[in-house]
Amino acid sequence: MIITKKKDRSKLLKTLEGYNSFYLIGCSECASLCGTGNEEALKEMAEDLKAQGKTVTGMIVPKTGCQTLGTKVELKKDKDALDKADAIVVMSCGAGTQSAVEIYPDKAVYPSNDTSFLGNMTRFQMFDERCSLCGDCVIDKTGGICPVTNCPKGLLNGPCGGTKDGNCEVSDEIKCAWVRIYERQKKLGELDKMKEILPPKDWSAKQGPHKLYTRADAAEGDKKSKDKK
Amino acid sequence: MSFKDTLESGKFVVTAEVGPPKGTDISVMKHDMELLKGKLDAVNVTDNQSAVMRICSLAVCKLVLEHGLEPILQMTCRDRNRIALQSDLLGASVLGIRNVLCMTGDHVSAGDHKSARPVYDIESVQLLQVVNALNNGKDMSGNDLKGATSFFQGAVVTPESNPLEPQLMKFEKKVKAGANFFQTQAIYNIDKFKEFMAFARQFPVKVMAGLVVLKSAGMANFLNNFVPGIKVPQDLIDEMKAAGKEKALDTGLNITARHIRQLKDEKICDGVHIMAIGMEDKVPTILERAGLL
Repeated sequence: MIITKKKDRSKLLKTLEGYNSFYLIGCSECASLCGTGNEEALKEMAEDLKAQGKTVTGMIVPKTGCQTLGTKVELKKDKDALDKADAIVVMSCGAGTQSAVEIYPDKAVYPSNDTSFLGNMTRFQMFDERCSLCGDCVIDKTGGICPVTNCPKGLLNGPCGGTKDGNCEVSDEIKCAWVRIYERQKKLGELDKMKEILPPKDWSAKQGPHKLYTRADAAEGDKKSKDKK
Repeated sequence: MSFKDTLESGKFVVTAEVGPPKGTDISVMKHDMELLKGKLDAVNVTDNQSAVMRICSLAVCKLVLEHGLEPILQMTCRDRNRIALQSDLLGASVLGIRNVLCMTGDHVSAGDHKSARPVYDIESVQLLQVVNALNNGKDMSGNDLKGATSFFQGAVVTPESNPLEPQLMKFEKKVKAGANFFQTQAIYNIDKFKEFMAFARQFPVKVMAGLVVLKSAGMANFLNNFVPGIKVPQDLIDEMKAAGKEKALDTGLNITARHIRQLKDEKICDGVHIMAIGMEDKVPTILERAGLL
Protein backbone atom coordinates (compact mmCIF):
# COMPACT_ATOMS: atom_id res chain seq x y z
CA MET A 1 0.00 0.00 0.00
CA ILE A 2 0.99 3.63 -0.49
CA ILE A 3 1.93 5.35 2.73
CA THR A 4 0.85 8.95 3.21
CA LYS A 5 1.41 11.47 5.98
CA LYS A 6 -0.69 14.51 6.75
CA LYS A 7 0.92 17.76 5.70
CA ASP A 8 1.50 20.30 8.44
CA ARG A 9 -2.03 21.62 8.93
CA SER A 10 -1.17 25.30 9.47
CA LYS A 11 0.99 25.34 6.33
CA LEU A 12 -1.80 23.66 4.36
CA LEU A 13 -4.36 26.19 5.59
CA LYS A 14 -2.00 28.96 4.51
CA THR A 15 -1.77 27.41 1.03
CA LEU A 16 -5.58 27.34 0.85
CA GLU A 17 -6.00 30.90 2.14
CA GLY A 18 -7.15 32.36 -1.16
CA TYR A 19 -10.14 30.02 -1.52
CA ASN A 20 -13.46 30.17 0.28
CA SER A 21 -15.19 26.87 -0.45
CA PHE A 22 -13.86 23.36 -0.71
CA TYR A 23 -14.86 19.88 -1.74
CA LEU A 24 -12.96 17.08 0.01
CA ILE A 25 -11.96 13.78 -1.61
CA GLY A 26 -10.46 10.94 0.43
CA CYS A 27 -9.70 7.34 -0.51
CA SER A 28 -11.02 4.15 1.06
CA GLU A 29 -7.87 2.18 0.31
CA CYS A 30 -4.33 3.09 1.44
CA ALA A 31 -5.09 6.58 2.73
CA SER A 32 -7.89 5.20 4.90
CA LEU A 33 -5.55 2.61 6.43
CA CYS A 34 -3.02 5.38 7.03
CA GLY A 35 -5.69 7.49 8.70
CA THR A 36 -5.05 10.32 6.25
CA GLY A 37 -8.02 9.92 3.91
CA ASN A 38 -10.78 8.09 5.79
CA GLU A 39 -14.11 9.65 6.76
CA GLU A 40 -12.80 10.70 10.15
CA ALA A 41 -9.84 12.51 8.60
CA LEU A 42 -12.15 14.27 6.14
CA LYS A 43 -14.48 15.39 8.93
CA GLU A 44 -11.54 16.72 10.89
CA MET A 45 -10.36 18.65 7.84
CA ALA A 46 -13.88 20.05 7.34
CA GLU A 47 -13.91 21.25 10.96
CA ASP A 48 -10.54 22.94 10.57
CA LEU A 49 -11.63 24.66 7.37
CA LYS A 50 -14.90 25.79 8.96
CA ALA A 51 -12.96 27.17 11.90
CA GLN A 52 -11.14 29.37 9.38
CA GLY A 53 -14.48 30.68 8.14
CA LYS A 54 -14.45 28.52 5.02
CA THR A 55 -17.29 26.48 3.55
CA VAL A 56 -17.15 22.79 2.78
CA THR A 57 -19.61 22.05 -0.02
CA GLY A 58 -19.32 18.27 0.24
CA MET A 59 -17.03 15.33 0.68
CA ILE A 60 -16.56 11.80 -0.55
CA VAL A 61 -14.38 8.80 0.22
CA PRO A 62 -14.22 7.09 -3.17
CA LYS A 63 -13.50 3.39 -3.41
CA THR A 64 -10.05 3.78 -4.96
CA GLY A 65 -8.73 7.28 -5.62
CA CYS A 66 -6.10 6.16 -8.09
CA GLN A 67 -8.70 4.32 -10.15
CA THR A 68 -9.39 7.38 -12.29
CA LEU A 69 -12.35 6.05 -14.24
CA GLY A 70 -14.19 4.66 -11.21
CA THR A 71 -13.56 7.81 -9.21
CA LYS A 72 -14.92 9.90 -12.08
CA VAL A 73 -18.17 7.94 -11.98
CA GLU A 74 -18.43 8.30 -8.19
CA LEU A 75 -17.79 12.05 -8.36
CA LYS A 76 -20.52 12.56 -10.96
CA LYS A 77 -23.12 11.88 -8.26
CA ASP A 78 -21.88 14.89 -6.33
CA LYS A 79 -21.63 17.26 -9.30
CA ASP A 80 -23.49 20.18 -7.66
CA ALA A 81 -21.37 20.21 -4.52
CA LEU A 82 -18.23 19.99 -6.64
CA ASP A 83 -19.34 22.85 -8.89
CA LYS A 84 -19.97 25.05 -5.85
CA ALA A 85 -16.43 24.56 -4.50
CA ASP A 86 -13.61 26.98 -5.39
CA ALA A 87 -11.07 24.22 -4.87
CA ILE A 88 -10.79 20.51 -4.26
CA VAL A 89 -8.66 19.15 -1.44
CA VAL A 90 -7.61 15.55 -2.07
CA MET A 91 -6.82 13.51 1.02
CA SER A 92 -5.14 10.50 -0.55
CA CYS A 93 -1.75 9.89 -2.14
CA GLY A 94 -0.32 11.94 -4.97
CA ALA A 95 -1.83 9.54 -7.47
CA GLY A 96 -5.35 10.08 -6.15
CA THR A 97 -4.78 13.83 -6.19
CA GLN A 98 -3.82 13.68 -9.84
CA SER A 99 -6.90 11.60 -10.64
CA ALA A 100 -8.89 14.64 -9.47
CA VAL A 101 -6.68 16.94 -11.56
CA GLU A 102 -7.47 14.78 -14.59
CA ILE A 103 -11.21 14.65 -13.86
CA TYR A 104 -11.43 18.40 -13.08
CA PRO A 105 -9.01 20.12 -15.46
CA ASP A 106 -10.53 23.55 -14.80
CA LYS A 107 -10.58 23.46 -11.03
CA ALA A 108 -7.89 24.07 -8.43
CA VAL A 109 -6.84 20.81 -6.74
CA TYR A 110 -4.61 20.61 -3.63
CA PRO A 111 -3.12 17.65 -1.77
CA SER A 112 -3.52 17.45 2.00
CA ASN A 113 -0.94 14.68 2.33
CA ASP A 114 2.68 13.90 1.54
CA THR A 115 3.18 10.59 -0.23
CA SER A 116 6.02 8.68 1.40
CA PHE A 117 6.57 5.15 0.16
CA LEU A 118 5.17 1.77 -0.72
CA GLY A 119 4.87 0.07 2.64
CA ASN A 120 3.80 -3.00 4.52
CA MET A 121 1.51 -2.43 7.50
CA THR A 122 3.29 -4.38 10.23
CA ARG A 123 1.03 -3.22 13.07
CA PHE A 124 -1.94 -0.86 13.12
CA GLN A 125 -0.77 2.26 11.27
CA MET A 126 2.87 1.25 11.55
CA PHE A 127 4.50 0.95 8.17
CA ASP A 128 7.74 -0.55 6.97
CA GLU A 129 9.22 -0.07 3.52
CA ARG A 130 10.09 -3.37 1.87
CA CYS A 131 9.91 -2.65 -1.87
CA SER A 132 11.14 0.39 -3.83
CA LEU A 133 9.44 -0.51 -7.09
CA CYS A 134 12.81 -0.68 -8.85
CA GLY A 135 11.43 -2.67 -11.76
CA ASP A 136 14.24 -5.24 -11.68
CA CYS A 137 13.61 -7.57 -8.73
CA VAL A 138 16.65 -9.28 -7.19
CA ILE A 139 15.11 -10.95 -4.15
CA ASP A 140 15.30 -14.35 -5.81
CA LYS A 141 19.05 -14.01 -5.21
CA THR A 142 18.85 -12.51 -1.74
CA GLY A 143 16.68 -14.85 0.29
CA GLY A 144 13.53 -12.89 -0.38
CA ILE A 145 14.85 -9.82 1.43
CA CYS A 146 15.29 -6.73 -0.75
CA PRO A 147 18.71 -5.07 -0.32
CA VAL A 148 17.76 -2.30 -2.75
CA THR A 149 15.15 -1.17 -0.22
CA ASN A 150 16.33 -2.43 3.16
CA CYS A 151 19.94 -1.26 2.80
CA PRO A 152 20.18 2.56 2.70
CA LYS A 153 22.99 2.18 0.17
CA GLY A 154 21.09 -0.41 -1.85
CA LEU A 155 24.16 -2.68 -1.86
CA LEU A 156 23.88 -5.79 -3.98
CA ASN A 157 26.98 -7.69 -2.88
CA GLY A 158 27.11 -7.84 0.88
CA PRO A 159 27.29 -5.57 3.91
CA CYS A 160 29.32 -2.35 3.95
CA GLY A 161 32.02 -1.71 6.51
CA GLY A 162 29.55 0.36 8.50
CA THR A 163 27.54 -2.50 9.92
CA LYS A 164 27.84 -2.55 13.69
CA ASP A 165 26.84 -5.65 15.64
CA GLY A 166 24.44 -6.55 12.86
CA ASN A 167 22.87 -3.12 12.71
CA CYS A 168 22.95 -0.47 10.00
CA GLU A 169 25.49 2.34 9.75
CA VAL A 170 22.63 4.78 9.24
CA SER A 171 20.62 3.84 12.35
CA ASP A 172 20.93 1.37 15.21
CA GLU A 173 17.22 0.77 14.81
CA ILE A 174 17.65 -0.80 11.39
CA LYS A 175 19.05 -4.29 11.23
CA CYS A 176 21.66 -4.60 8.47
CA ALA A 177 19.84 -5.94 5.43
CA TRP A 178 22.86 -8.03 4.46
CA VAL A 179 23.14 -9.57 7.91
CA ARG A 180 19.45 -10.50 7.60
CA ILE A 181 20.07 -11.94 4.14
CA TYR A 182 23.12 -13.82 5.43
CA GLU A 183 21.24 -15.28 8.41
CA ARG A 184 18.30 -16.36 6.28
CA GLN A 185 20.41 -17.89 3.54
CA LYS A 186 22.53 -19.67 6.12
CA LYS A 187 19.38 -21.10 7.71
CA LEU A 188 18.10 -22.22 4.30
CA GLY A 189 21.46 -23.67 3.29
CA GLU A 190 21.66 -21.18 0.43
CA LEU A 191 24.82 -19.23 1.28
CA ASP A 192 26.18 -20.06 -2.16
CA LYS A 193 23.78 -17.48 -3.55
CA MET A 194 25.49 -14.82 -1.45
CA LYS A 195 28.83 -15.69 -3.01
CA GLU A 196 27.58 -14.83 -6.48
CA ILE A 197 28.55 -11.32 -7.65
CA LEU A 198 25.39 -9.48 -8.61
CA PRO A 199 25.89 -7.14 -11.57
CA PRO A 200 25.10 -3.43 -11.50
CA LYS A 201 21.38 -2.83 -11.51
CA ASP A 202 19.54 -1.95 -14.66
CA TRP A 203 18.04 1.32 -13.49
CA SER A 204 16.39 1.90 -16.85
CA ALA A 205 13.53 -0.23 -15.54
CA LYS A 206 13.00 2.36 -12.79
CA GLN A 207 12.88 5.33 -15.12
CA GLY A 208 9.49 7.02 -15.14
CA PRO A 209 6.92 7.90 -16.05
CA HIS A 210 5.82 4.29 -16.30
CA LYS A 211 2.97 3.00 -18.33
CA LEU A 212 1.86 -0.59 -18.25
CA TYR A 213 0.19 -1.69 -21.46
CA THR A 214 -3.47 -2.60 -21.48
CA ARG A 215 -4.67 -5.90 -22.84
CA ALA A 216 -5.67 -4.14 -26.05
CA ASP A 217 -2.18 -2.67 -26.45
CA ALA A 218 -0.62 -6.08 -25.85
CA ALA A 219 -2.83 -7.67 -28.48
CA GLU A 220 -1.90 -4.90 -30.89
CA GLY A 221 1.80 -5.44 -30.15
CA ASP A 222 1.51 -9.20 -30.72
CA LYS A 223 -0.17 -8.56 -34.03
CA LYS A 224 2.63 -6.22 -35.13
CA SER A 225 5.40 -8.64 -34.19
CA LYS A 226 3.61 -11.44 -36.03
CA ASP A 227 3.32 -9.23 -39.09
CA LYS A 228 7.09 -8.61 -38.93
CA LYS A 229 7.82 -12.32 -38.94
CA MET B 1 59.88 2.25 -7.63
CA SER B 2 56.10 2.51 -7.97
CA PHE B 3 53.78 1.50 -5.15
CA LYS B 4 52.65 -1.50 -7.20
CA ASP B 5 56.20 -2.68 -7.87
CA THR B 6 57.22 -2.17 -4.24
CA LEU B 7 54.22 -4.10 -2.95
CA GLU B 8 54.74 -6.88 -5.46
CA SER B 9 58.45 -7.07 -4.66
CA GLY B 10 57.53 -8.27 -1.18
CA LYS B 11 58.89 -5.23 0.63
CA PHE B 12 56.87 -4.15 3.69
CA VAL B 13 55.02 -1.07 2.43
CA VAL B 14 53.85 1.96 4.32
CA THR B 15 51.06 4.30 3.30
CA ALA B 16 49.33 7.13 5.11
CA GLU B 17 46.49 9.49 4.36
CA VAL B 18 46.06 13.03 3.21
CA GLY B 19 42.66 14.44 4.04
CA PRO B 20 41.71 17.18 1.58
CA PRO B 21 40.72 20.34 3.42
CA LYS B 22 37.31 21.97 3.35
CA GLY B 23 38.08 25.14 1.46
CA THR B 24 40.76 26.38 -0.87
CA ASP B 25 43.49 26.98 1.71
CA ILE B 26 45.84 24.06 1.14
CA SER B 27 48.82 25.36 3.10
CA VAL B 28 48.64 22.80 5.94
CA MET B 29 48.15 19.96 3.48
CA LYS B 30 51.17 21.14 1.45
CA HIS B 31 53.25 21.28 4.62
CA ASP B 32 52.20 17.72 5.51
CA MET B 33 53.03 16.49 2.02
CA GLU B 34 56.52 18.00 2.28
CA LEU B 35 56.98 16.23 5.62
CA LEU B 36 55.84 12.88 4.22
CA LYS B 37 57.84 13.09 1.00
CA GLY B 38 60.31 10.23 0.62
CA LYS B 39 59.01 8.48 3.73
CA LEU B 40 56.03 6.59 2.32
CA ASP B 41 55.35 4.19 -0.53
CA ALA B 42 52.09 5.93 -1.35
CA VAL B 43 49.56 8.37 0.06
CA ASN B 44 45.81 7.75 0.15
CA VAL B 45 43.70 10.75 -0.67
CA THR B 46 40.31 10.43 0.98
CA ASP B 47 37.11 11.05 -0.99
CA ASN B 48 34.79 13.39 0.91
CA GLN B 49 35.61 11.37 4.01
CA SER B 50 32.69 10.68 6.38
CA ALA B 51 30.44 12.22 3.72
CA VAL B 52 31.77 15.67 4.64
CA MET B 53 32.21 17.89 1.57
CA ARG B 54 35.84 18.82 0.87
CA ILE B 55 38.22 19.32 -2.08
CA CYS B 56 37.82 16.44 -4.49
CA SER B 57 40.17 13.50 -4.21
CA LEU B 58 41.15 13.72 -7.86
CA ALA B 59 42.49 17.28 -7.64
CA VAL B 60 44.39 16.53 -4.43
CA CYS B 61 45.90 13.38 -5.98
CA LYS B 62 47.32 15.61 -8.69
CA LEU B 63 48.82 17.90 -6.02
CA VAL B 64 50.27 14.84 -4.29
CA LEU B 65 51.95 13.84 -7.56
CA GLU B 66 53.33 17.36 -7.98
CA HIS B 67 54.81 17.12 -4.49
CA GLY B 68 56.75 14.01 -5.42
CA LEU B 69 54.56 11.44 -3.66
CA GLU B 70 52.57 8.61 -5.17
CA PRO B 71 48.82 8.98 -4.67
CA ILE B 72 46.15 6.33 -4.11
CA LEU B 73 42.87 7.79 -5.31
CA GLN B 74 40.10 6.83 -2.91
CA MET B 75 36.92 6.56 -4.86
CA THR B 76 33.51 6.11 -3.29
CA CYS B 77 30.23 5.31 -5.01
CA ARG B 78 28.22 7.69 -2.83
CA ASP B 79 28.44 10.86 -4.89
CA ARG B 80 28.70 9.76 -8.50
CA ASN B 81 26.76 7.55 -10.84
CA ARG B 82 28.48 5.05 -13.12
CA ILE B 83 29.06 7.65 -15.83
CA ALA B 84 30.78 10.08 -13.47
CA LEU B 85 32.84 7.31 -11.81
CA GLN B 86 34.20 6.08 -15.11
CA SER B 87 34.76 9.60 -16.37
CA ASP B 88 36.72 10.50 -13.21
CA LEU B 89 38.76 7.30 -13.52
CA LEU B 90 39.73 8.18 -17.09
CA GLY B 91 40.60 11.68 -15.89
CA ALA B 92 42.74 10.27 -13.09
CA SER B 93 44.52 8.04 -15.54
CA VAL B 94 45.56 10.86 -17.88
CA LEU B 95 46.76 12.89 -14.88
CA GLY B 96 49.18 10.08 -14.06
CA ILE B 97 47.29 8.60 -11.10
CA ARG B 98 47.93 4.86 -11.08
CA ASN B 99 46.34 3.56 -7.88
CA VAL B 100 42.69 3.52 -6.99
CA LEU B 101 40.99 2.33 -3.82
CA CYS B 102 37.40 1.31 -4.53
CA MET B 103 34.89 1.85 -1.74
CA THR B 104 31.15 2.19 -1.32
CA GLY B 105 31.49 5.25 0.93
CA ASP B 106 29.92 6.39 4.19
CA HIS B 107 26.24 7.25 3.92
CA VAL B 108 25.33 10.95 3.53
CA SER B 109 23.55 10.79 6.88
CA ALA B 110 26.99 10.70 8.55
CA GLY B 111 28.17 13.91 6.91
CA ASP B 112 27.55 17.62 6.69
CA HIS B 113 25.05 17.55 3.83
CA LYS B 114 22.48 15.22 5.34
CA SER B 115 19.73 16.26 2.94
CA ALA B 116 21.81 15.28 -0.10
CA ARG B 117 20.60 12.53 -2.39
CA PRO B 118 23.08 9.64 -2.13
CA VAL B 119 23.86 7.93 -5.41
CA TYR B 120 25.15 4.35 -4.91
CA ASP B 121 24.40 3.58 -8.57
CA ILE B 122 26.99 0.82 -8.26
CA GLU B 123 28.98 -0.38 -5.21
CA SER B 124 32.51 -1.36 -4.27
CA VAL B 125 32.54 -4.88 -5.74
CA GLN B 126 31.10 -3.64 -9.01
CA LEU B 127 33.45 -0.63 -9.06
CA LEU B 128 36.39 -3.04 -8.91
CA GLN B 129 34.94 -4.80 -11.95
CA VAL B 130 34.58 -1.45 -13.70
CA VAL B 131 38.25 -0.61 -13.09
CA ASN B 132 39.16 -4.01 -14.52
CA ALA B 133 37.08 -3.30 -17.61
CA LEU B 134 38.70 0.12 -18.09
CA ASN B 135 42.12 -1.53 -17.74
CA ASN B 136 41.03 -3.84 -20.53
CA GLY B 137 39.97 -0.98 -22.77
CA LYS B 138 36.22 -1.30 -22.25
CA ASP B 139 33.67 0.80 -20.44
CA MET B 140 30.85 -0.67 -18.35
CA SER B 141 28.57 -0.90 -21.34
CA GLY B 142 31.17 -2.79 -23.33
CA ASN B 143 32.12 0.13 -25.56
CA ASP B 144 35.74 0.28 -26.71
CA LEU B 145 37.90 2.95 -25.14
CA LYS B 146 40.41 4.93 -27.15
CA GLY B 147 43.26 4.09 -24.82
CA ALA B 148 42.86 1.88 -21.75
CA THR B 149 43.74 2.70 -18.15
CA SER B 150 46.34 0.80 -16.16
CA PHE B 151 45.18 1.07 -12.58
CA PHE B 152 46.49 -0.88 -9.64
CA GLN B 153 43.32 -1.38 -7.66
CA GLY B 154 42.64 -1.82 -4.03
CA ALA B 155 39.71 -2.40 -1.73
CA VAL B 156 38.93 -2.27 1.96
CA VAL B 157 37.90 -4.88 4.50
CA THR B 158 36.83 -4.77 8.14
CA PRO B 159 38.49 -7.72 9.90
CA GLU B 160 36.82 -6.99 13.25
CA SER B 161 33.27 -6.70 11.97
CA ASN B 162 30.56 -8.55 13.82
CA PRO B 163 29.23 -10.84 12.40
CA LEU B 164 32.42 -11.50 10.47
CA GLU B 165 31.41 -14.14 7.95
CA PRO B 166 29.42 -11.81 5.63
CA GLN B 167 32.44 -9.46 5.55
CA LEU B 168 34.76 -12.33 4.65
CA MET B 169 32.37 -13.37 1.89
CA LYS B 170 32.49 -9.83 0.55
CA PHE B 171 36.30 -9.84 0.80
CA GLU B 172 36.28 -12.92 -1.39
CA LYS B 173 33.97 -11.23 -3.87
CA LYS B 174 36.33 -8.25 -4.01
CA VAL B 175 39.23 -10.56 -4.77
CA LYS B 176 37.19 -12.19 -7.51
CA ALA B 177 36.23 -8.74 -8.83
CA GLY B 178 39.90 -7.92 -9.33
CA ALA B 179 41.25 -6.28 -6.16
CA ASN B 180 45.05 -6.37 -6.10
CA PHE B 181 45.51 -5.09 -2.58
CA PHE B 182 43.51 -4.45 0.58
CA GLN B 183 43.81 -1.80 3.24
CA THR B 184 41.92 -2.77 6.37
CA GLN B 185 39.76 -0.81 8.77
CA ALA B 186 41.75 0.05 11.89
CA ILE B 187 42.94 -2.97 13.84
CA TYR B 188 44.33 -2.98 17.39
CA ASN B 189 44.33 -6.63 18.37
CA ILE B 190 47.25 -8.23 16.52
CA ASP B 191 46.36 -11.77 17.59
CA LYS B 192 42.86 -11.42 16.18
CA PHE B 193 44.30 -9.85 13.06
CA LYS B 194 46.51 -12.91 12.61
CA GLU B 195 43.34 -15.02 12.43
CA PHE B 196 42.01 -12.80 9.68
CA MET B 197 45.34 -13.00 7.84
CA ALA B 198 45.23 -16.79 7.98
CA PHE B 199 42.00 -16.50 5.99
CA ALA B 200 43.25 -13.73 3.67
CA ARG B 201 46.47 -15.58 2.85
CA GLN B 202 44.46 -18.12 0.85
CA PHE B 203 44.03 -15.46 -1.81
CA PRO B 204 46.59 -13.91 -4.16
CA VAL B 205 46.26 -10.37 -2.79
CA LYS B 206 48.38 -8.07 -0.67
CA VAL B 207 46.99 -6.92 2.66
CA MET B 208 47.98 -3.79 4.53
CA ALA B 209 46.86 -3.42 8.14
CA GLY B 210 45.01 -0.19 8.87
CA LEU B 211 46.27 1.64 11.95
CA VAL B 212 44.59 4.60 13.61
CA VAL B 213 46.73 6.52 16.09
CA LEU B 214 45.16 6.76 19.55
CA LYS B 215 45.29 10.25 21.03
CA SER B 216 43.70 9.45 24.39
CA ALA B 217 41.82 6.80 26.33
CA GLY B 218 38.68 8.80 25.61
CA MET B 219 39.29 8.48 21.89
CA ALA B 220 39.68 4.71 22.28
CA ASN B 221 36.31 4.53 24.03
CA PHE B 222 34.78 6.72 21.34
CA LEU B 223 36.08 4.40 18.61
CA ASN B 224 34.66 1.39 20.44
CA ASN B 225 31.28 2.97 20.95
CA PHE B 226 30.72 4.88 17.76
CA VAL B 227 32.91 3.61 14.95
CA PRO B 228 31.69 0.38 13.40
CA GLY B 229 34.26 -2.36 12.97
CA ILE B 230 36.84 -0.91 15.38
CA LYS B 231 37.61 -2.62 18.68
CA VAL B 232 40.32 -1.25 20.94
CA PRO B 233 41.19 -3.93 23.53
CA GLN B 234 41.05 -3.03 27.23
CA ASP B 235 44.80 -3.43 27.79
CA LEU B 236 45.51 -0.67 25.25
CA ILE B 237 42.89 1.58 26.84
CA ASP B 238 44.55 0.93 30.23
CA GLU B 239 47.94 1.75 28.75
CA MET B 240 46.59 5.06 27.41
CA LYS B 241 44.95 5.84 30.77
CA ALA B 242 48.15 5.08 32.69
CA ALA B 243 50.06 7.48 30.46
CA GLY B 244 48.02 10.40 31.78
CA LYS B 245 46.95 13.43 29.79
CA GLU B 246 50.40 14.77 29.01
CA LYS B 247 51.89 11.55 27.71
CA ALA B 248 48.75 10.20 26.04
CA LEU B 249 49.58 11.18 22.48
CA ASP B 250 53.17 10.04 22.87
CA THR B 251 51.91 6.67 24.12
CA GLY B 252 49.50 6.45 21.20
CA LEU B 253 52.38 7.02 18.78
CA ASN B 254 54.39 4.34 20.58
CA ILE B 255 51.53 1.83 20.35
CA THR B 256 51.22 2.39 16.61
CA ALA B 257 55.00 2.10 16.17
CA ARG B 258 55.05 -1.08 18.26
CA HIS B 259 52.26 -2.61 16.18
CA ILE B 260 54.08 -1.74 12.95
CA ARG B 261 57.25 -3.43 14.22
CA GLN B 262 55.40 -6.57 15.21
CA LEU B 263 53.44 -6.75 11.93
CA LYS B 264 56.66 -6.34 9.99
CA ASP B 265 58.96 -8.54 12.06
CA GLU B 266 56.51 -11.42 12.26
CA LYS B 267 55.63 -10.97 8.57
CA ILE B 268 51.94 -10.94 9.51
CA CYS B 269 50.87 -8.80 6.55
CA ASP B 270 52.36 -6.96 3.57
CA GLY B 271 52.42 -3.46 4.97
CA VAL B 272 50.59 -0.86 7.01
CA HIS B 273 48.26 1.99 6.25
CA ILE B 274 48.48 4.73 8.89
CA MET B 275 45.39 6.84 9.42
CA ALA B 276 46.63 9.76 11.49
CA ILE B 277 43.34 11.69 11.14
CA GLY B 278 44.54 15.28 11.36
CA MET B 279 47.98 14.38 12.73
CA GLU B 280 49.72 13.67 9.45
CA ASP B 281 52.75 15.58 10.78
CA LYS B 282 53.23 12.85 13.42
CA VAL B 283 53.61 10.08 10.84
CA PRO B 284 57.42 10.55 10.47
CA THR B 285 57.77 10.19 14.28
CA ILE B 286 55.81 6.92 14.19
CA LEU B 287 57.96 5.61 11.34
CA GLU B 288 61.16 6.56 13.19
CA ARG B 289 60.01 4.76 16.34
CA ALA B 290 59.01 1.73 14.25
CA GLY B 291 62.52 1.63 12.87
CA LEU B 292 61.39 2.34 9.33
CA LEU B 293 63.25 5.60 8.78
